[in-house]
Amino acid sequence: MARPLAGHSAMLEGGGGREGADKARDEFFSEAQELIDVLGRDLLVLDEALKKGQFDAESINDVFRGVHTLKGLAGLFGATRMAGLSHQLEDALDDLRLGRIELTAAVLDLLFKAVSLYTRLLTAEKGGLAEPAQEVEELLSALGQVSARRAGATAGTVAQYDLDPGLFGVLTEYEEHRLRTTIQQGLQLYRIRVRFSLATIDSALDELKAAVRPHGEIITYLPTGSGTDAETIDLEILMASAEASEGLREAIQGPNVSIEEVPRRSSSSARPSLLAPRPAEAPVPKEFGAPPVQSASPGGDRARPTFLGIAPQSAAAGASSMGLSRAAAPRAAGPGEISLRSITQTVRVDIRKLDRLMTIVGELAIVKTAIAKLSERARTRAIGPRELALELQRLNRTFDRHLAQMQGGILEVRMVPLGQAFDKLARIVRQISREHAKEVRLVVTGAETEIDKLIVEELSDPLMHMIRNAIDHGIESGEDRLRVGKPPIGTIALNAFQKANHVVIEVEDDGAGMDPAALAAEAVRRGVVSADEAKAMTSRDVVALVFMPGFTTKQVATDLSGRGVGLDVVKTNISKLGGVVDITSEIGIGTKMTITLPITLAIINVLLVEIGARLFAIPLANVDEAIALDETQVRAIESREVLTVRGASLPIARLERLFGMQRLQVGSRRAFVVIAQVADRRLGLVVDELVGQRDIVIKPLGKSLSGTRGFAGATELGDQRVALVIDVAALIEEVLASAETRRLAQIESDESSRRYPALRRA
Amino acid sequence: MSQALKSRMDRRATRRTDDAGKRTEYLAFGLAGETYGVPIAHVAEILKLPPITEVPRAPSTVCGVISVRGRLVTVIDLRRRLRLAEGQMDRRARILLVDVGTGEQIGLLVDEVQQVWRLSAEEVEPANVLGGDQPAHIAGIGRPADARGGILILLDLRPIVESP
Repeated sequence: MARPLAGHSAMLEGGGGREGADKARDEFFSEAQELIDVLGRDLLVLDEALKKGQFDAESINDVFRGVHTLKGLAGLFGATRMAGLSHQLEDALDDLRLGRIELTAAVLDLLFKAVSLYTRLLTAEKGGLAEPAQEVEELLSALGQVSARRAGATAGTVAQYDLDPGLFGVLTEYEEHRLRTTIQQGLQLYRIRVRFSLATIDSALDELKAAVRPHGEIITYLPTGSGTDAETIDLEILMASAEASEGLREAIQGPNVSIEEVPRRSSSSARPSLLAPRPAEAPVPKEFGAPPVQSASPGGDRARPTFLGIAPQSAAAGASSMGLSRAAAPRAAGPGEISLRSITQTVRVDIRKLDRLMTIVGELAIVKTAIAKLSERARTRAIGPRELALELQRLNRTFDRHLAQMQGGILEVRMVPLGQAFDKLARIVRQISREHAKEVRLVVTGAETEIDKLIVEELSDPLMHMIRNAIDHGIESGEDRLRVGKPPIGTIALNAFQKANHVVIEVEDDGAGMDPAALAAEAVRRGVVSADEAKAMTSRDVVALVFMPGFTTKQVATDLSGRGVGLDVVKTNISKLGGVVDITSEIGIGTKMTITLPITLAIINVLLVEIGARLFAIPLANVDEAIALDETQVRAIESREVLTVRGASLPIARLERLFGMQRLQVGSRRAFVVIAQVADRRLGLVVDELVGQRDIVIKPLGKSLSGTRGFAGATELGDQRVALVIDVAALIEEVLASAETRRLAQIESDESSRRYPALRRA
Repeated sequence: MSQALKSRMDRRATRRTDDAGKRTEYLAFGLAGETYGVPIAHVAEILKLPPITEVPRAPSTVCGVISVRGRLVTVIDLRRRLRLAEGQMDRRARILLVDVGTGEQIGLLVDEVQQVWRLSAEEVEPANVLGGDQPAHIAGIGRPADARGGILILLDLRPIVESP
């Protein structure tokens, strides 16, 4: 609890000036985002446990705490709808904690839904957009119904045990609930008396708890008040265990420990008045009413509601205010509405990384001092020109080295583990697989692989699409899987690893796979390729057709295995990141999509070229090789120029013509071909001159130029000159797809209902 | 802009209003022989011509991009945008960095920067004195009392910046 509280106070302090308030607001967003992420993770843990038929009490507590902290945060920043949602959720979670309602998959659905609503509320709050009020209301009413179904606490069972009636006076509601539950599970109750020395009680208690944990659950511990002297204290621990007393004594032995079984009574109706279920409407003031217990438990890490600082809400009041409409449980939002992107752009940095950067800054400061001294000496002519030149050279080298270190260090700070994106995907897998009533397991490897923060953010949504596709159309239903001898639970593997300067991410399912013959037939039918072209294509090429915009139509999605929903969007987004996506599929075995991405977007290695006496940069990641253009090897085939390189055809594009540039110089004698490649498509870019390689920082062109295709951005070359960076993927798309686009345009005019993104470019 | 600075400017503005009615400051610049004016509040900076990098395929009114302290800025040739006669630029040519709240600073290439005029409401005629069918970027005509009959064509920058 210490952390969120510290967060609150920091924000309150920051509320002074206007800038302070802005900063505090930013902190609110990043802190809330983090809490929501953690919430999602905790829910997944709960889900896992639930699947195994267990009830993970500690995770429920974690979720409860998270929601409570969010409520506080939202309240502080006047995010009322968020605070309201948190308040009701808190009630529901409290009911769960205390066993008033049962944790079912349906209840978990609601909680997952709440997490996605939180994200949208936060986005709305940040962007000043409309809040999804309707859906919040729906969720609240669904939660209300859940609370209304609250099971009456199981009565009577505790009465079987010979417990001190006074005990119930000091148990918190939560502890009482755990007591009832463990008894219901048929566990044996034990009373353990331990004498602690006051000086070492902290560590000794922790040791004891660790020793007990594998054998059972501690329900409460209370001081007996019968300590013999001022240096020691006796605690009575009530625990539940499935083990016999001998085994327990074996495990928890010590000089000052005594263990006894709590005997069962013969009559189960011994003291009904004490053991009747606590009426849910009754306020529960006990949290504040057990001071001896608190003072005696300095360990402080027990899940006691007191740490929340509030009394659990009256559940009845909560239920009545939650609306009475019998709305169906809210369905998950359509794919168009969900985005997994975080709304904050914060990076958490290991302080040691910053320390290293600070050291480098120190080194740079030393260089600066040396330059100052040197210039002073030069001014007073205390140094000869030759010596000065040598000194300057030496300093320049040192400066270079430190600058490179600095660059590397800052890039490192921008790196975050891919796990940040993967965690959210696990949530999506659960949601989609439940929607489709398919059982799917997500197996993740390489979540620790690091990549630029910006890429991680941009990656979430394409990955979500790919996984949605895999579940939607790849993984078969349980019965179908059994019929073909596969395990009934489908598996989606999400693997990430680093390969040289790239990060590779694979999404692999063990579903039905795709039939190239059927795909090719459909592609021909839709005019995406001609029958002859289709015949010439390898099955690999055919499968890659699913990334074509023409394949996003519903008809294809139902006629064939159904792949292709939004995959063209995935491809576009990945190429925007300078990456490529590939697909392979085998009928009956499954489909694998592979994304290859650069590690960072911040600095890229480019080939500088001259076109029409102007400089352009081509990212080297997309360059295969550069060769001199031999005009005798160029043939025009169907209005497209093709160059023969080592016996194979390479389509070429004269950039000067493609860019519609006016020639500044006439009669340049020679030209070069830069062979560019994206995925498995190659294109020769004809340029006038090769200038050289360079590491550049790429900057985006302004919004006003967003309609200008073919450039990924620009970079400053020094002396204020700017060179445009060529977007190779877009050019290849444009040049090579133009024939396909023409055919699509034909279909378009026939059907005239859908817009193909590729057309807008033409 | 810091809060303190802003409030100081507000105070100054109020004082001006007190002694001479409501006045707005316009930056006057020359373009193809005419004088134009834009609200100075929209002008962030005036730059001498840096090397301008042409962007192929950009709209014809865009003369290219420049780097302003590491930021890329799109430069619009205002003569072309306003469909004025093309002309040779000389060393008096400037780029006005303007910001009209679209989230992006835009450079406007002009022939020369002249001076700042403070115009009261009476010194500004609405655009419709020129007839009903004026382009959206004409905001009105400025007739400074002390300009000896000279006029300013006042521009609304938003339509210019939003569709270069």
